[in-house]
Amino acid sequence: MQGVAVPVSMVAGNSFIHRLNPIAKLVWVLAVLVISFATRNPLFLIALSIVGLGLVTMAGIWRQFSRVMLILLPVATSLIVFQSVAPAFPQPWTPIATIGPFTIYQEGIYSGLSLLARATSMTIFALVMIMTTHPSDLFTSLSRLHVPYVLNFMLAMTLQLIPVLQREIGVVMSAQKSRGMKSTGFGAVIPSFVPVFAGAIERVQQLSISLESRAFGSSGHKTSYRQVAVRPVDWVVGIAGFAFLAVCIAVFLNTGALDMSRTLIFPPALAIVLVAAAAVLFVGFIASAIWVVIRA
Amino acid sequence: MTAAADPAQELARGADPRSRRTGGDVAVDISHLTYDYARAGVRALDDVSVQIRAGEIVGVVGQNGSGKTTLTKHLNGLLKPTSGRVAVAGVDTAGKRVQELAAYVGYVFQNPNHQLFASSVEVDLGFGPRNLGVPEDEIAERVEQAIAFFGLEAVRGQHPYRISFPMRKLVGIAAIYTMRPAIFVLDEPSTGQDHITTRKINELIGRLREEGSTVICVSHDMQLLADVADRLLVMWNGRLIADRPPRDVFADRDVMAQTKLEPPQVTEISLRLRSRTGALPALAVPELAATLEHALARPASGGS
Amino acid sequence: MPSERAPIIEFDRVSFQYAASDAYALQDISLTIDEGEYVAILGLNGAGKTTLELCINGIIPNMVMGDLEGEVRVAGVDATDTPVREMAKTVGIVFDNPEFQMSQMTVAEEVALGLENLGVPYEEMRGRIADALAMVDLVGFDERMPLALSGGQQQRLAIAAVLAMRPRILVMDEPTSNLDPIGKQEVFEIAARLNRDNGMTVVMAEHEVEVMARYADRVIVLDGGRIVANGTPREVFAQRELLERIGLRPPQATELALWLRDGGAGWTDLLPVTADDAVTALETRLAGVAR
Repeated sequence: MQGVAVPVSMVAGNSFIHRLNPIAKLVWVLAVLVISFATRNPLFLIALSIVGLGLVTMAGIWRQFSRVMLILLPVATSLIVFQSVAPAFPQPWTPIATIGPFTIYQEGIYSGLSLLARATSMTIFALVMIMTTHPSDLFTSLSRLHVPYVLNFMLAMTLQLIPVLQREIGVVMSAQKSRGMKSTGFGAVIPSFVPVFAGAIERVQQLSISLESRAFGSSGHKTSYRQVAVRPVDWVVGIAGFAFLAVCIAVFLNTGALDMSRTLIFPPALAIVLVAAAAVLFVGFIASAIWVVIRA
Repeated sequence: MTAAADPAQELARGADPRSRRTGGDVAVDISHLTYDYARAGVRALDDVSVQIRAGEIVGVVGQNGSGKTTLTKHLNGLLKPTSGRVAVAGVDTAGKRVQELAAYVGYVFQNPNHQLFASSVEVDLGFGPRNLGVPEDEIAERVEQAIAFFGLEAVRGQHPYRISFPMRKLVGIAAIYTMRPAIFVLDEPSTGQDHITTRKINELIGRLREEGSTVICVSHDMQLLADVADRLLVMWNGRLIADRPPRDVFADRDVMAQTKLEPPQVTEISLRLRSRTGALPALAVPELAATLEHALARPASGGS
Repeated sequence: MPSERAPIIEFDRVSFQYAASDAYALQDISLTIDEGEYVAILGLNGAGKTTLELCINGIIPNMVMGDLEGEVRVAGVDATDTPVREMAKTVGIVFDNPEFQMSQMTVAEEVALGLENLGVPYEEMRGRIADALAMVDLVGFDERMPLALSGGQQQRLAIAAVLAMRPRILVMDEPTSNLDPIGKQEVFEIAARLNRDNGMTVVMAEHEVEVMARYADRVIVLDGGRIVANGTPREVFAQRELLERIGLRPPQATELALWLRDGGAGWTDLLPVTADDAVTALETRLAGVAR
């Protein structure tokens, strides 16, 4: 009897960002995505993230936003830990400290930090869009841009299926625990997931017949129920997004993407503290996750 | 507190011979059970107290959202009381995991698709007892017995998803049967089933009764419960508002109106003719037919 | 049934075999349903109820693979050879699992989906959505999330979603099998209201014989893909032996009268199919005895 809760969903509001056209927001999200992949400069990416946090404040969504970011923290800490001992960076690596059997590399810290900053800036902008945009408005706007209807629909359905599948997994786990299944270990995988996938397939089959009966998939002219306005300010923001992207790319091309891997030097003590703190956080998260699963 | 002090309920317990039909041990002992869904801020169960004796067949009725499933999920530890106590077969569920309670309480989920997963019916039937650590030769024996008991010979080697839905429903119950629990919880066993399957489930509950099992059956199917249940627990808005034999519950216009439940059609007819027949409400067609034959053959004494 | 009603659904010697199966799901079905009729389809799981219903809006054979023989004419067109999009304007279909029919973020958009597909202009769409939601008592639910509604509400929404397309025929496939008693009652009442007040043709597959006896003008019984009975509820439910043989039963009211007829008490009145019929007939007889 539990309700359906979407983990990352729109937060109602009427801020400037809420009212902005979904496409204008999407332009910025994509621009930040490209920019974040184009540079490894942690300072630049951190600056971008701070701008993003400013937008979070503007939209007034800090509470829900920080809850999602907290969930992503283990990923973030694991980046620093694993990168510092095994950098995703061209060799040679410069060792700066050792903890037991592990050697921390200058390039590792740089790479870990920049990957983290990259992920953070992209996530912040994406979350701001998701949390201030009604999904239907986004999909309506996309179909205006001639994104194929079916593709659009599949996106929307996937978004909807996430909470439903979460609930189904809960029910199936309950059913199998009632049959004495130990809830951890490899043996639990098949009994837990086969019914969920079988159920999802059945759902999609029946839904497709229901949709077809409502003239879905017909090739004729379609209309749209949701009306999304395009105001001058939406044009301005959207074009500004493109302009920002163009300027950044131009700068990167002329400066070697603001590479600082040789200039941003970490003192050994700072490096050790950074990696150790990340490691403790990471292990703590994994341990508490295991604890939650065992107790269930 | 309130449930125990409810005068109507006290009266019903005293006046009802059928609920004390079986003198077995207490199989389920629920006292002052309250449960809150914390995230939704909803009180799903409000001070429910009830005892079920070994060998009883008990129906749990009420609209969706009345607390039926929340109540039964406490029986095998899927939910733990916010306050109050639940004991099954003498074991307090509070300190126990679902997997441990599975040895006492067999919970059959409404949708067999949520349970079944293995490559064949046979393998699925062995899953539960294997989890309980039953020796392999005994598992094989239990699987054979279940196949005979539920009439699954024709589908034993097939994939559970490839057999008909009614058959799958029976496999779902059989997969719990092989775990030999003393207490069965059946969640909507006859929902969406045709007459033949409902009749099979009806017979099956009868056979579980013969074997001495306790059966707790959550259902909207009043005809099924009229046939099999010794008592009905009527849930409304998280509270247990009646705990009486089906005959008494169906005859109680207040309870039926409050919960918007409808008795089986034959019971309804017998209730509407009651002023003329003077008989107890009937639960089955032959019963009312006998009453009417009697009344039509020999004039009843007076009109009251 | 008034005799001036015109046929709206005609099956002429229809047989169907699913692609993956070597048995016929429907065999030699010939049947006529008039506009404005309420027809119940009874039968065990696997008797062919759903298959028959899917032929009415052309999902079979246009979307489901298999071999179809014979002719299905619905509202004057050949349903086997008309795009499902066109058929959707004539036939609305509601399935057993309410949740498996929900696809949109809000109730209003769920209802709008079919209209968008038909290219109905925005202004007209709004009116139609409001009308459809009113017909199923979901006024004010526009912005709610379909997946967060109760089963009964979801099923009413599924009905609204097809009503908005203004069909003449409402086909329902065990629409209440997943609902609680309140939800069942609501769905049955809406279907009865649409049939009575809006003259909509209703074709309903169900297991609830007591309810069908009350609402249906006609009952069709399927067994193994064939029609084995077709008549008024009274005609069909009197055939106890036939029903027994194929695993069905008549409503308890009818069963009671049949029991009395075969027993010592006799039964000379018309066979009752509803509780009201039975009570009226029995009260008269009991009063006669008492006097």
